[in-house]
Parts: sequence; C-alpha cells; structure tokens
Amino acid sequence: MLSRSSALLGPGVLQATRVFHPAQPRKIRLGLIPEEFFQFLYPKTGVTGPYVLGTGLILYSLSKEIYVMSPETFSTISVVGLLVYVIKKYGASIGEFADKLNEQKISQVEEMKQVSIKQIQDVIDMEKSQQALVQKRHYLFDVQWSNIYKEVKNCLDYHISVQNMMRQQEHMINWVEKHISAQQEKETIAKRIADLKLLAKKAKAQPVL
Amino acid sequence: MNENLFASFITPTIVGIPIVILIIAIPSILFPSPTRLITSRLTSLQQWLIQLVLKQLMMMHSIKGRTWSLMLISLILFIGSTNLLGLLPHSFTPTTQLSMNLGMAIPLWAAAVITGFRHKTKMSLAHLLPQGTPVPLIPMLVIIETISLFIQPMALAVRLTANITAGHLLMHLIGGATLVLTSISPATASITFIILILLTILEFAVALIQAYVFTLLVSLYLHDNT
Repeated sequence: MLSRSSALLGPGVLQATRVFHPAQPRKIRLGLIPEEFFQFLYPKTGVTGPYVLGTGLILYSLSKEIYVMSPETFSTISVVGLLVYVIKKYGASIGEFADKLNEQKISQVEEMKQVSIKQIQDVIDMEKSQQALVQKRHYLFDVQWSNIYKEVKNCLDYHISVQNMMRQQEHMINWVEKHISAQQEKETIAKRIADLKLLAKKAKAQPVL
Repeated sequence: MNENLFASFITPTIVGIPIVILIIAIPSILFPSPTRLITSRLTSLQQWLIQLVLKQLMMMHSIKGRTWSLMLISLILFIGSTNLLGLLPHSFTPTTQLSMNLGMAIPLWAAAVITGFRHKTKMSLAHLLPQGTPVPLIPMLVIIETISLFIQPMALAVRLTANITAGHLLMHLIGGATLVLTSISPATASITFIILILLTILEFAVALIQAYVFTLLVSLYLHDNT
C-alpha cells in the first residue's frame, strides 16, 4: 500500500522540487527608487545629484505647503521609522526561517521518496534471488537421482560378481574331475602316506638329537 | 479641530460612491492561498503562524467545538490584518465602525448560545446560576446572570471599537501636539518618543484580536461543550 501511494507522490515531488529561476533582485536604493535613476543622473550631477534633487523637492513642497504638515505626518514618521527599523533588524532572519520551513517540507518528502525507492529495490532483489533459486533447484534433484543410480548399480554388481564366482567354482570342479582318474588318485594317496611316514620318522629322530 | 480630528473615521466615499466594501476586501490580498507544496516565503510563514494559532485556540475544545475552527481563524486573521493596516498613514480602519463590530459580534454570540440551548438545554440554563448560592438570593442572581449573558455581544463589539478608535485618536492628537510644539523645540523630542512607544503599544492591536477571539471562544466553550 505504501508503494502505491508513494508512486502517486513521485511526480508531485518532482514538480515540487523543481527549482525556479532565482529571481535577481533589482538594485534599489532607499527601498523605493531603482538604481537606474541614479545612473541616469550620474553623468550630469555626479553622486550627490539625486539626493539633492530629493531634498530640494521635499523642502519645496513643504515651504509652498503643497504637502501640508499635519498630525498624521508625525504618526507616519513613527510608523514608517518603526517598520524600517524592524525590517532592517529582523528581515534576514525571518527570511531564513521561512526558507528553513520549506527545507523541512522538502526533506520530509525526499525521505519518503528514498524509503519507497529502497523498498522497491529490496523487492526487486528478493525477486531476483527467488528466480535464481528456482534455476538452481534442479541441482538438488540431480544429486538425489545420482545417489539412487549408484546404489542400484552396486546392488546389481554384487549379484553379477556372485554369479561369476559360482561359475568359476563349477569350472574348477569340472576341470578337476576331467583330468584326474581313480587310479591316479590311489597312487597319489599312497605316495603321500609314504612321505608322511618319512616325515614322522624324521620328527621322532630329531628331538633325540 | 473637531472636524479634523474625526475625519479619519468617516466611511470613505469617492464622489459619492461608498468604497467601504472594497476597503474591507483588501486585506484578503495579503493572504495568498497556497497552491503548491513548496510555497513562497510569505505563504509558508503564514501557514506556520496559522498552524500555531490554530493549535493554541482549538486545543481545549471537543470535536463539536472544533467545527468552528475555520470561522475563528478567519476572524482572527481579518481583525488582525485590518487593525494592522489601519496603522498606516491616511488609511481607514473598518473595525472603528461600531456597525461592523456589532455585525461580527452578535451573530457569533447568538450562534454559540443557541447551539448550547438546542443541544444541552439543561446545562445552558444551569449556567445562569452559579454554584452554591444561598436560596433567597436565587431570583436576583438569575436576573443578573441573564443580563450579563445578554451584555456579552455588546461588550465584544464595543470593546473592539473603543480600543481601535481610541488608539487612532490618540495617535492623531499626539501628532498634533508634536506639530504645535515644533516651534518650541526641546519638548518635541520627548513627545516624538512618546508617539513611538504609543505606536508600539498600539501595534498590540493584534493582542486585542486575541482578546476578541478568546472571549468569543470562552463563551462558545462554556455554552456549547461543557
């Protein structure tokens, strides 16, 4: 469920983190008058030109009562003076605070994006390992089959060797019966008995010596 | 002097066309509605402020009371912005007119009371009598409590009107005094300083909005949810 909602958030984060072209603040003096005015007057009147012009205009309007000094003038001076003071003193820090607020929002959303990316990556890796496992499963079965094969072969070999042995014994017996007749049997037996008697005499004689 | 002093409180007309409605609608320009996730500095600061104020205001209410949050937040923003804009020179403050403040106070108070009476009739009626009063005093106390109940919207409206009007008048008067004293030099410096201090205090008109909303809030709370 998380991957689905964060998939929807993806394009939103892309749009939200798009950096607009940074506004180049135009150079302004005294908060009101653009710098171009000063540059415009510079060739004719030098650096102090615009200031003298401003002062002259103000004094002219005051002396001719074009601008009438009223009670509001003083409240204007105090309000504007207070505002200028507060803005000059705390303006930059308030701007940084606002930037920090936005920074926090972006980092939260970035984190969500990273978490969802990581989750999807983990799922992909798990899928891959599963696939690899399925590939290698046939090895298991190969080993088992070869074991069975070996055992069956052993059994059959045993039976064959037993049969061979039996056949050899039969051959031997047949050969013996073929080549040795009854006469020869008696002669060999008598010879063997004589040999044994000689041996017995020798054996009796020896311990005396 | 008479005409000049109260000139700033006349509802402004341009060749007979009242432009008061326009003036009342202007402070809304200062509150841009957030269209994106990452907004400009002004919008994000306002968002943060509104969140702070909302949390403070609505913490003590139950679910039913919190349905009033939009109303109360827009109220505090409106009164705050109009009062602050009225501090600029030659500007008109709508909240100096009693008609407007009554128009804000009476419906809101009436809504709170009627909600309380509809849903918790016994509780609302019970508020008319403080606990632990000796029996002989009960009829008088009920009358007194009823009167105090009906005075609430008047008090809300008149409080706001009187405060803002008095502040503007004072600034005007002290400015006039400074003007006159300019020809007698040394005193002017101290008076200008007094103007400055007065203005700073007046800029706590915002605190007055707090007072307004709080009072409204307390009454809502008492009537509706307790």
